[in-house]
Amino acid sequence: MDLASRAQVLVVIPAYNEGAAISRIVADVKRAGYKVVVVDDGSSDATADHAGEAGAAVIAHPFNLGQGAALQTGIDYALAQSAEYIATFDADGQHRVSDIEHLVDALIRERADFALGSRFLGQAPNLPPLRRMMLQAATAFTRLTTGLQVTDTHNGLRAMTRRGAAAIKLQQNRMAHASEYLDQVARSGLRYVEQPVTIEYTAYSMAKGQNAGDAVFILFDLFARKLYR
Amino acid sequence: MIAQIILSMLLTVILLYACTEYRRSRAIAVLTVLIATAGMYFIWIPEHSTQLAELVGIGRGVDLILYIWVCISLIVLLNLHLKLRTQMDLITALARKLAIADARSSEK
Repeated sequence: MDLASRAQVLVVIPAYNEGAAISRIVADVKRAGYKVVVVDDGSSDATADHAGEAGAAVIAHPFNLGQGAALQTGIDYALAQSAEYIATFDADGQHRVSDIEHLVDALIRERADFALGSRFLGQAPNLPPLRRMMLQAATAFTRLTTGLQVTDTHNGLRAMTRRGAAAIKLQQNRMAHASEYLDQVARSGLRYVEQPVTIEYTAYSMAKGQNAGDAVFILFDLFARKLYR
Repeated sequence: MIAQIILSMLLTVILLYACTEYRRSRAIAVLTVLIATAGMYFIWIPEHSTQLAELVGIGRGVDLILYIWVCISLIVLLNLHLKLRTQMDLITALARKLAIADARSSEK
């Protein structure tokens, strides 16, 4: 992928109190030639300042709304900015910048509208056994409820075309947004592909991640949402 | 008789509440109507509640009515939760609009 094509890709990074890591991540993504928007989700530290100094466009939620809300804000912004391709990328340093290119290439090559990163097709060094079990249970649940034959459901590394992004309207502000995203991919009827990616677990990213108890709340959120839709 | 009238009035209020909720959540409204109607029926024909209670192994009709009240309370609680979520959706939409508008203005 050449630099001109990379400029058509807007990378959305939702961030909440990521002041320690965000500068390096924005700099890495910018260096690869992509446009970057950081959605600062009401951080109490200097996340927004660091992201802006590193060269990202910054959208700041007036208060904390949750990662799902931040992702949707970034997607809305990207559509308004006429981005051809939109990638979502975590702010905690788990993702590799080189995977963005693989995801966008997969969109083009497979004529798909969604390219979903999968650590289980790719690699996940240092993935703790308990988390592996949780992720596999979530995957089984999503396969059952959406009918999508995916191998990894709670992966924040993905890419979509403009048409795909327009079909996404996340309403799960908090943790259940990953399942909701896949649900909307399934409902859109648009083509999706899975692409192997590498997720690197570090002490920093582990401290930021979800724990086993969150699964119960995710299920409740998904159920409650179904009651009034 | 006085207790029956008071309870009936309360259940009528619940029924009216269910009607106003119909547009927002049909599932909640229908459940509430069903439970309140059953409550009304048993208030006026308590011997049926005793018979039904014995049938399902509760013992006394009054206990059955009590359980129905607990159910209604839980449904109202769930409904309040859903209302709060609806409000959160609106707040999110508003915050998002403001945030995106601010991002654009800072780029100019």
